[in-house]
Amino acid sequence: MTAPASTTTIDLVSRFPEFVTADTRPGFSGFIVKKENLVEVATALRDEFNFDLLSSVTGVDYIADNKMEVVYHLHRTTGGPGIVFKTQVDRVDPMEVPSLIDVWAGADFQEREAWDLLGIKFTGHPDLRRILLWEGYEGHPLRKDYQEAFFEEETKPFKSRWPEGHHTYAEFKNPFRDNIKLPENFKLDNYQPENEDQLYFSLEKSSMKHTSENQMGTDHMVVNMGPHHPSTHGVLRVAVELNGETITSLKPVMGYLHRNHDKIGERNTYLQIMPFTDRLDYFNSMANNFGYAVTVEKLMNIPVAERAEYIRVIMAELSRIQNHLIFIGMLINDLGSMYTPSLYAFEERELILDIFEAVSGARMMCNYFRFGGVVRDIPADAMQKIKDLVHDRLPAKTDEMERFLNENEVLVGRLKGVHVLNAEEAIRNSVTGPVLRAAGVPYDLRRADPYSVYDRFDFDVAVRYNGDMYDNYLIRFDEIRQSLRILEQALKQIPEGPINSQKPQYQVRVPAGEAYGRVESPKGELAFYVVSNGKPNPYRYHVRAPSFVNLTAVETMCKGTKIADFVALLAMLDIVMGEVDR
Amino acid sequence: MSEWIYVALFIAVGLIIPIGAIAAGFILGPKKPNPIKEATYECGVEPVGEAWIQFKPQYYIFALVFLVFDVEAVFLFPWAVKLGQLGLYAVVEGIIFVSILIIGLVYTWRKGMLEWL
Amino acid sequence: MDWTMWVEWIVKGFVLCLILLTGFAYLTWYERRALARIQVRVGPNRAGYQGLLQPIADAVKLIFKEELTPGHVYKVVFILAPVLTVVPSLVLAAVVPLGTSFNLFGREITLYVADVNVGILYLTSIASIAVYGIVLAGWSSNNKYAMLGGIRSSAQMISYELTLGLSFVTAIILGNSMNMIDIVNEQRGLWFVVIQPVGALIFWIATLAEVNRAPFDMPEAEQELTAGYHAEYSGMKFALFFMAEYQKMIVISMILATLFFGGYLGPFVDQVPLLGPVYLFAKVIILLFGMIWVRATWPRIRYDRLMSFGWKILLPLSLAIAFITATGILLADVLNNQLFFWSIPVVSIIALLVAVAFIYRDLRRKSHGRI
Repeated sequence: MTAPASTTTIDLVSRFPEFVTADTRPGFSGFIVKKENLVEVATALRDEFNFDLLSSVTGVDYIADNKMEVVYHLHRTTGGPGIVFKTQVDRVDPMEVPSLIDVWAGADFQEREAWDLLGIKFTGHPDLRRILLWEGYEGHPLRKDYQEAFFEEETKPFKSRWPEGHHTYAEFKNPFRDNIKLPENFKLDNYQPENEDQLYFSLEKSSMKHTSENQMGTDHMVVNMGPHHPSTHGVLRVAVELNGETITSLKPVMGYLHRNHDKIGERNTYLQIMPFTDRLDYFNSMANNFGYAVTVEKLMNIPVAERAEYIRVIMAELSRIQNHLIFIGMLINDLGSMYTPSLYAFEERELILDIFEAVSGARMMCNYFRFGGVVRDIPADAMQKIKDLVHDRLPAKTDEMERFLNENEVLVGRLKGVHVLNAEEAIRNSVTGPVLRAAGVPYDLRRADPYSVYDRFDFDVAVRYNGDMYDNYLIRFDEIRQSLRILEQALKQIPEGPINSQKPQYQVRVPAGEAYGRVESPKGELAFYVVSNGKPNPYRYHVRAPSFVNLTAVETMCKGTKIADFVALLAMLDIVMGEVDR
Repeated sequence: MSEWIYVALFIAVGLIIPIGAIAAGFILGPKKPNPIKEATYECGVEPVGEAWIQFKPQYYIFALVFLVFDVEAVFLFPWAVKLGQLGLYAVVEGIIFVSILIIGLVYTWRKGMLEWL
Repeated sequence: MDWTMWVEWIVKGFVLCLILLTGFAYLTWYERRALARIQVRVGPNRAGYQGLLQPIADAVKLIFKEELTPGHVYKVVFILAPVLTVVPSLVLAAVVPLGTSFNLFGREITLYVADVNVGILYLTSIASIAVYGIVLAGWSSNNKYAMLGGIRSSAQMISYELTLGLSFVTAIILGNSMNMIDIVNEQRGLWFVVIQPVGALIFWIATLAEVNRAPFDMPEAEQELTAGYHAEYSGMKFALFFMAEYQKMIVISMILATLFFGGYLGPFVDQVPLLGPVYLFAKVIILLFGMIWVRATWPRIRYDRLMSFGWKILLPLSLAIAFITATGILLADVLNNQLFFWSIPVVSIIALLVAVAFIYRDLRRKSHGRI
C-alpha cells in the first residue's frame, strides 16, 4: 500500500560527492546538503534532474542534536515520486541558510514562514519579514525551547485538565492572573503594536513607480484592503499602492487568523490532530483528513481497508464538487453579481453536506477519517442519496450552470485575457491545483503520484491552456465532471467489507521516522510533513497549505492591473484563510 | 412664469425632508463618540498617507470632454423642438455641427484619453 | 391667484413627496422580495403580513442609530452632501405629469406639480446636480475608499449623462416639444417606444448608470471599494443616500415611462382621470422590475470598460439615433411617405446591431479594457 518514497533512484551523492551525504537516520530518507553549496545543488536538481516544482520548505528543530534542519521537498510536474533534501545548521543564532528564492520563486512565503516560526535566517531573501506573526513578536514559537504565555506541559493531554479524572474547561481559568508569562518589560495596558514601517518600506521598494514612465508625477495612494473587507475571503490583508486605479505595488499581509496549527499539532496526540485538520480548509475537511491520514499511514506503514479506500475517494470527490461549486458562485459574486449564482451553488452544496452529515455527524467539520480506514460506514439511505446525486442531479445542475453562465458577456469580458499566468511562471511560483492546470500543466496528484485507489479509475486530468481567469473558471466545471466520473465508477466498484484495517483505538503507535504525504485537495497540493520520534505526539507536524503557497504568485500577477481585477484574482486563487494563516 | 413658482415651492418642500431626517436622527440617536469610532475606516488598519491626493489627469479630461458634449446636447434641444418648421436644411446643419464635435471625440479617442486609468 | 391656490400647491407638493417616500420604502421591500424569489430564497416576511412592515422597521432602526461623524472629515460638506443628493432626486418629479386633472369640490386639480414648457431642460439640469452630492460625499469623508468611489461615480455619471441628454433629444424630436405633457399627448396614437425602441433602450441603460444600479454600480462596488462614497456615513445620513438612489430609480422610471411608454395614458383615462396615476405606477413597477432583474442576474462590468462603453459605444450610438429619428421624421413629412417614418425603427435596430457587433468583436479579441 504505502511504498516507501523511492527517492534513492536519484544518485545525488555521486553527483556531488564532496558536500552531499545520504540521510541515514532510521526512518528518514533523502540527502543532507552542506549549506554552503545549497544553491548549487538546488540549481542542479532543477536543471539536470528536472525537479521543477518546489513543493515545500520547512524546518525542524532537533534540539537534542543541537541542529536546526531545513527540509526541501521537490517534485516533477511530469509526475513520479519526489526528492527530499535537507540542510543543517548549528543551533546558534543567527542560523543562516542561503535562500533558494532565485532558484524557485515559490520559496518566498515558505522561507518567510520558516524564519517567522523557527528563526532560520535565509540570507539573500529580499524581503525576509515575519509573515504569520507580527513584527515585534518575541521569539520563534516552533523552536522546541519556546514556551508560550500559557505554557503548561510539552504534550497533551494536559494533566491540569483532568484533576482526579474530571474534565474542566480552559475557559474556567482566568487568563489574566499569575498563570500567564509575558516577556520582560512588557506591560499589557500600554501595549502599542509595532509600527508597520517595514511593510510600507517593502511596498515602496517593489513599487513600479520607480521603473515605469511616470510622466505626470501624480501621487500614488497606499490603500489597505482587508482585514475587514468584504472580498478578501476572510481576514487577508493586502497593502496596495495605487496610481489612479492601477496597482503599482502590492504586498499580502496574513496571520490575522493564525493559531500556530503546527505547534498545536505537536502538542496533540496523533489522533487528536485529525479533527484539528478539519479547521485548515474548512470547506474541505474531508480532503484535509485524507491528506493527514495518508501521511500517518505512510509513517505507520499500515494498509487501509478496501471498502474504506472507496469511501475515502467518494467523500473526497464529493468535497471537491462542493468546493468548486462554491468557487464558481463566489467568483461571480466577487465580480459583483448580487449572490444569485452563489445561492444556486449553495443549493447543491447543501445536498452534499447532508451526505457528510449522514456519514460523519457533522456538516463541515467532519473528522471522518481514521488511520487504516474511516470511522463509520455509509448508511444505506445515504448511499442511495449519493447515487441519486451523482447519477441524476449533479450532472444536470452542472449543465444548467454552464448554460446560464459560460456565455454571459459581462462574465466573459471580465475574465477572458485577464491575469494570465503562464506555465513557467506558475511552476516557478510553486502554484498547484486548478490554477496550475489552467495554465496548461496537467499536474494532478491523483495521476502524477497516485495515492489511495485513484489508479483504478478511468478519468482525465482536466487541463486548459490559456492560463487566464476564464480558463480558471472553466476548469472548475471540467473538474466537477471528472469527479462525477470517478464517483460513478467508485459507486459501482465499492466492495463490502470492514471499514478499518485496525482496531478502534485512541492512541496509535507510530514508529520513529519522517513522512511527507500529499493529496490533491480542491485548492491544490495539500501536503503534511510529519516527523515522529516514537512518542505519542508527533515531533514535528507541518502543513503545506495550497492556498498559502498559491498566494506567492499574487504579487507578480497583479502589478499593472486594475484594482477591480485584483478582487477577482483573489477569488480565482480560491484561498481559504483557515489554511493560509493556519 | 407662475409654474416656476410651483417648482420652487416643491424644491422647498423637498429640502424639508432631508433636513428633517437629519435633525430627527440627530435628536433621537444616541451619541457616544470615542476616538476609535471616529477613526477613518480603512478595513480596520490605521491609514497611511493622505486621501486627498493629486489624482491622475485623465480624470479632468473626461470632465472637459463632457462639458463640450453636454453643451452640444443643450444646443440640440431647441433644434429638436423646431425641427418640423426648419426642415431638411436644419438636419444638414445639425449633422455638420455634430460632426465637428465628433472629430474632437475621435481625436481624444485616438490619443487614448478615453481609457480609464 | 388666491391663497387657496397656494395651499393646493403646497399640499400637492407634500403628497408627491410622501408618495415618493413611501414608494422608496416599499421599493426596498419589493426589491428584496423579488431578489429573494430569483435567488431561491424567501426574503423578508416576518414584520407584518408578508413582511410589509419591514421598511418601517428599517426606518425606525436607522433613526435611532448612532450617527458617527469621523474626526477627519470636512464637517460642513460632510453633512451637506446627503442633502444635496436627496433633493435633486425628489424635485426631479416636479415636471412629471401623473395624469391630467380632476374635479374635487368644484375645483379643478391638476395631477402634476408644474406644467413647465421646458420640462426636459429642467430634468437634465437637476439630474446634473445630483453628481455634486456624491462627489462631495466622497471627497469630504477623507477616506481613500470614499475618495475613489466619489471619483468613479462622478466620472461615470457625467459620461452617461451625455447619453441621457441625447436620448432626451430623440424624445423631443418625436414629441415636437420640451413639455412633458405635450410629449405624453403626442403618444395617444402610438407609444414612442414603438417608433424608437433603441432610443428607449439606450435611455434605460444610461438610467442604470445614472442611478448607480447594477451592472453599473461601480461607485459602491462592495467587493472592491467596501461601500464607496458612503463608507463613512451611518445612521440617517446613510439612509438619505440610500433613499436618493431608490427615489431616483422611481423618478427616472417615471420619466422613461412618460417619454417612451405613454406616461399616464391607458384605456378610459380620459373618462376617469384618476386612472392616470394608476397606469403610470403600473408601468413604473414593470420598469423597476427590469432593474431588479438585471441586478439579480448580471455581474458588474469593470470600471474602465464601463467608461469605454459609455464614450465609445453609447455616445456615438445615441447621436446616430437622434439623427436617424430627425431625418426619418422630416423625410416622411416632406415627401409625405409613411415608409420613411417606419424606416426609423428598422435603421435604428441596424445601428444597434452594428454597435453590438463592435462589442462582440472586441470580446473575441480578448483585449485588456478596450472597447
